[in-house]
Amino acid sequence: MNAVLDTISLVLILLGAVLCLTAAIGLLRFHDVPSRLHAATKPQVLGLILICLAVALSARSWAVVAFLVAVVLVQLATAPLSAHMVGRAAYRNGTIDERSLYVDELAESRETPPAAGG
Amino acid sequence: MNLLLISIYIVFAAAGLLTVWRIITGPSILDRAVASDVLLTLVMCLLGAEMAINHHTRTMPVLLIIAAVGVFGSISIARFVARRDNTER
Repeated sequence: MNAVLDTISLVLILLGAVLCLTAAIGLLRFHDVPSRLHAATKPQVLGLILICLAVALSARSWAVVAFLVAVVLVQLATAPLSAHMVGRAAYRNGTIDERSLYVDELAESRETPPAAGG
Repeated sequence: MNLLLISIYIVFAAAGLLTVWRIITGPSILDRAVASDVLLTLVMCLLGAEMAINHHTRTMPVLLIIAAVGVFGSISIARFVARRDNTER
């Protein structure tokens, strides 16, 4: 039983590692900041959840599971913050590929508002 | 089992090298911010994987602290970029 659980946790770790690898390949292959953000968010949420499941299966105690729930919740709360700030700054700096946009809903708010730390 | 471990090591190493390559050659500072975010996530995943492989839970608080504090780097980079943009205008 323990060997089976260890093997399952290793397979989960391998899946998380493959998600990290896809994020790295996406960072290399995509061309502007928003599409690189799109690639980068995969291991930040799903990869970390898979790794935490692997840790829980490896440790087999409820205290560890409670701690890992806190880790995943904090990561789920903070990962969109940085992605939002970076994507917004990329749009204001004009470092995005304008021709790849079908709809540009932020066109009239390109200027940095006074309260945005500028 | 051994083959699984070796493939995990190879995949993590390849992901880290590709991310560091993007940090080195990123055209803008925002690309480097995104890539360093991915590198930080990679560090978290590596800490978790090491805990699961070696059957201990000692580095669990490090995981929580990185998840809570790792955002501020990208946020401050984004605000610094907006500020520089304003002074140029």
